[in-house]
Formats: sequence, C-alpha cells, structure tokens
Amino acid sequence: MMASIRQTMAMSRATLLSVPRRMAISLSMVGSIMLVVCVLSGFLSMARGFEITLQSAGSPDVAVILGGGTREEVNSEIPPDIARSIMAKGNDIGVLRNASGTPILSRELVVPVEYRTQLDTAGTTLALRGMEASGLTIRSGVTLSSGRLVSSGAREILVGEQLATKYPGLDIGNDIRLGPVVWTVVGHFSAGGSAFESEIWGGFDAVASAFNRVGEVQSLRLKLTEPTAIDRLKLSMSEFADAQLMAFTEADLYAGQSEATAQLIRMFGWPISLLMAIGATAGALNTMMSSLSDRTVEIATVRALGFNRFSAFFSTWLEAFLLSAVGASLGLTLSWLALNGWQTSTMGANGAQMAFRFVVNADVMTITALVGVAIGGVGGALPAFAAARLPVATALRARG
Amino acid sequence: MTTLKTESPFIALSGVSKTYRTGNESLPIFTNLDMTIQGGDFVAVMGPSGSGKSTLLNLLAGIDHADTGDIQIAGQRLDHMGEAARAAWRAHHLGIVFQFYNLLPMLTAAENVELPLLLKPIPASVRRERVAKVLDLVGLGGRGKQNPTRMSGGQQQRVSIARAIVADPSLLLCDEPTGDLDRKSADDVLAMLGYLNRELGKTIVMVTHDPEAANAANRTLHLDKGVFVENEQVAA
Ligand SMILES: Nc1ncnc2c1ncn2[C@@H]1O[C@H](COP(=O)(O)OP(=O)(O)O)[C@@H](O)[C@H]1O
Ligand SMILES: [Mg+2]
Repeated sequence: MMASIRQTMAMSRATLLSVPRRMAISLSMVGSIMLVVCVLSGFLSMARGFEITLQSAGSPDVAVILGGGTREEVNSEIPPDIARSIMAKGNDIGVLRNASGTPILSRELVVPVEYRTQLDTAGTTLALRGMEASGLTIRSGVTLSSGRLVSSGAREILVGEQLATKYPGLDIGNDIRLGPVVWTVVGHFSAGGSAFESEIWGGFDAVASAFNRVGEVQSLRLKLTEPTAIDRLKLSMSEFADAQLMAFTEADLYAGQSEATAQLIRMFGWPISLLMAIGATAGALNTMMSSLSDRTVEIATVRALGFNRFSAFFSTWLEAFLLSAVGASLGLTLSWLALNGWQTSTMGANGAQMAFRFVVNADVMTITALVGVAIGGVGGALPAFAAARLPVATALRARG
Repeated sequence: MTTLKTESPFIALSGVSKTYRTGNESLPIFTNLDMTIQGGDFVAVMGPSGSGKSTLLNLLAGIDHADTGDIQIAGQRLDHMGEAARAAWRAHHLGIVFQFYNLLPMLTAAENVELPLLLKPIPASVRRERVAKVLDLVGLGGRGKQNPTRMSGGQQQRVSIARAIVADPSLLLCDEPTGDLDRKSADDVLAMLGYLNRELGKTIVMVTHDPEAANAANRTLHLDKGVFVENEQVAA
C-alpha cells in the first residue's frame, strides 16, 4: 500500500518535472481553458449581476398591483375607478396606513422617454416614472443623495445615481427635454445600486399630464402591513376580475423579471461556452497525447523496473488536472479582475436602460472552475488510460 | 556442476514461440525454443541484428509475452502471471540494464537509483543508505546529487547498473550494456558485471555484439534464425 502510493508519487513528480520540456503545448492547453473560463464566467457573472440588481430593488413588504393580466409594468393598466376603490379599502386588504390614517400607496406610470445629450444625437431610452410622494417612502433603501424632492405638480424630476454618474447632462439644476416638455433636475437619489437607480422619477400628475395620460394608472405600489399580508391582497384582487388585476410582492415581481433575463443570458452563454469547452477538451486531449508520447520511454522504463500501471495512469491524469487547474485559476483571476463590479447597462423591464454590475461571486467561480477542471479531466482521461496500457516492450524500442 | 544439474534450472524456457504480426505481415522470431540457464550463471547472448535477442530479454522480463510455451524463472511461471503480478515480480526479482541507460533526465542520479526501492516497503533512511552504498559500489560515491544528463556515457551506465542492483534482485538482464560505450568504459562495465556475478551471485543474461563482452561471460549462446546454434563454454 505504502509502496503503491510511493511509486505513484515518484512517477507524478517525474511527470510534472518534465512539463517544461513541452512548455508550448502545455501553455496552449492552459490558455484555451483560461479562455473558456473567462467566457463562461463572463456570462454567468452578467446573469448573476443582473439578478442581484433587480432583486435588490424588490422588498417583501411592498406590493405591486398590475392590471390587464400582465407581469410587465409597461403593459399594465388599472382602470381609474378601480384604482380609487382599492385606495379606499386601505388596510382591509393589508395596506399599511400612516400616522394620519391614509393608506401608504402610490399610483404610478412608467413612460419610456428618449434622452438626448448634445453629442449623442441618437438618444437613449430611459424610464421616466411618475409616482406620488408616498412612492419614495414605500421604497425601502431609497435616499435622496443630493438636491431636494420634487414639488407636487411641477415639471421637476429626480435622477437615479446610475444615470447621474453616466450622464453629466443630468446634473442638478439642468433643464432637459424628455418627451414633449422640459423638466428640471432637482435631485439625485440612490437605491443601493438596484435597478431603481436607472430610473428618472417625477410627480404622478406632472408625468401624466406631460404625456397626455391623465386619469391613467399603470400600477399601484403599496406598503403591506406585514409580508404575509400579500395573501390577503391577492385574494381581494379576485373582486376585480374584469380588470384582471394581479398583486405581487416587489421581491417576487423583480425576481420573476430578473429570472427571465438572467435565464436568457445563461441560455446564450452556456452553449457558447460549452462549444468552446469541447474545443478546449480536444486541445487538452492533444496536449496530453503529446505529453504521453514525450514520456513514452520514461514510462516504459519505470514500468520495466516494476512500477504498476496505476502510477502511469495517475501521473498522466494528474498532469492534465493540474494544467487545467492552472488555466481555470488564471481565467478566474482574469475575469475577476476585469469583470467583477464592472458596470454596464442593458435593456431593463420597461424597455429602458438599466444599469447593473457583473458579479463574479463564489457560485460563479465554483461552476466555472469545475467546467475548467472538467476539460482537463475529460481531455486527460484517454491519454491516462493509454499511459496505463502502454506496451512496454514496444515503447522501449522507441528509445529516448 | 553436479549439484546444479540435480536442481531445476533457474531459467527454463520450453516450447516458446513468438511471432510479430503487423497487418498482414507475420515475422516468426522463435518457434519451439528451449533454453535453460543455471542460477549464478553469467550468460552472453550473441547473434545477428534482428535475430530476436531483445525479444528474448523482453520475454524473460515479462514485458512481452510468448505466443506459446512455458517460461519459468526461479520456480515461478511468468507466462501464468497477469500484468500486475509480473510488474510486482520484476520489482522483487529483476534488475534491467539498457543499452541507452534509460535514466530519467529530470531526476538526480540518486533519485534514479532509488526508483526500484520505492516499490518495496523500505523506510526512507534505509533507502538513502542503500543508494549511497550501490553508488559507491559502481564508483560514483558522492555523485548522487548530480544530474545524469551531465555525466559521460560510462558514468550513466554505471548509474543504471546501480539502479538495477539496488533492490538486490537475483537476475540481471542487460541488453547491449556496452553498445554505446567506448572501450575503456565498456571494460569497466564488464568488470562490474563480472564482479556482481562472482561476488554477489547475480545471475546475468547479457545480450551483446561485442566478442570481448562475451568473453566476460561464462557461457555464450548464439541465436540465429530463432534457434540457439552454438553453446560454447569460456572460462571466466
Ligand atoms: N513490436 C514489433 N512488431 C513487429 N516487429 C518487431 C517488433 N519488435 C521487434 N520486431 C522485429 O523482430 C525482429 C527481432 O527484433 P529484436 O528482438 O529486437 O532483435 P535483436 O535484438 O536481436 O536485434 C526484428 O526484425 C524487429 O524488427
Ligand atoms: Mg536488440
């Protein structure tokens, strides 16, 4: 037993010491695994970052009511009379009231608007949300980072930090044209890096009138008395069957939205990465086959001395695993340095821009590292078997 | 000699046939070969190139198998053993010396010599002692840390002999051990093999082209067209 471990260790050591002889082809294996790991971790950290950005926007004790049988805020519609009767019901349906007894509830409208900087004439689509004053208190984690709140009815807006950093034109005090009218930026708000930070907020009435949507309500956002009150709220929605109302906690709603997009990113990322992984596996196979042929005489020699087949098998496989582990570590280090926290934006739920960060976290790293090492394991398996089954007499004739 | 005759021979081949087949071609090497070698003998095997000398050593080493026939060494039937058993058998009973030394270039001389000891339950301190002792024996005392690739051919072959004997095997198989050496180094190696045979009682089977090398042996077998044609006795 000890002798068996010793011969395996000795053979593994000799094998690894011989790697510098085939540096170029070993590096090509390391490099291709590194590439696969970079690409895969790129996609996965994008998906993860997207999920985290959206999920951190959602809170379990905030409910969103959408009408028209949709989960998409932009497509939602709640008839005004129904909105009024829900507001009247108050805490019978689980809505929290403030000190003065008014339900904490905000009618909201989201309008995709074209924003043009001077230079960028093409313009980008941003989400302008009209909300009532209570909309700010409902959203947990939202704080005014600079400036002041909008005055009700005025054409004033608050800009999320993500947008504010990206577009200097959205500085406080600037007048900007969004849709048919000009708005004044009066404040910036932060929302813990969540998707809200990619929005522009104005007063509900101001937004509705600017876009000829007076009387329309797209969604209702309200504070629940407690997270479990969502069940009561959901039940009470059946009263408004005609309007096809649905109630979600913010957390569920965003989780659902982020799931779809994150899934899409993964659905795109996995096949690309796996195709590359297949290529890398073929490369690993090739590298390890040439390692085997490079070591043929040495393997045959120690086999002739009495070393067992397992030591030849193990040392070859170990080389493959170590090379792929090096590739995977380099790939992960690289993608962590290059991608982690890297901020970019994509089309969010409302057809408007949404900023998010790549998140190279433990589960992204674990999965990609496993894929990287698996490439070595699979590519090295056949050469390892070939090493074990090397015909000693023939191999010795090859002579070194 | 009379006592040896009553004992069963150390090596006994009987009815051994071996044919190499590549595609449609078949190349018969041995047909019904019989051979015996007594324990403690030093036998030179000579013969033209391609006559099957290396094949014979490979069969004796258990790294190649015969198509038919019995191969018995030290009372054990090699042809009845599986791959793993033959590897273990080599580890315990066999030392091999190759024409081109076959040292592992990434290891030091001492590490090369230590390899066969790793196959036995021997503690590290004892292994170190044994390695130092055999390196001394082959005249390379103190050179253990050196890399064999920096050594002359003669020195490398002595490292290889040290490796072959370090685990104290009863049988040494040498395939043209002097084939790659100058006269002086060749003579040193032959003297060393002679010493191992006489003083340490190793049975040696040595393939060679070199008549002087054959002189170092007690007995010479001439292999030609798959049969031993001559068996001459030469006093050591
Ligand atoms: N694996 C093999 N396949 C086919 N032919 C072989 C193989 N090994 C050796 N031979 C052939 O068998 C013959 C005997 O080889 P060998 O035993 O090495 O001869 P020697 O050592 O006497 O020169 C040679 O002609 C050689 O080419
Ligand atoms: Mg030969």
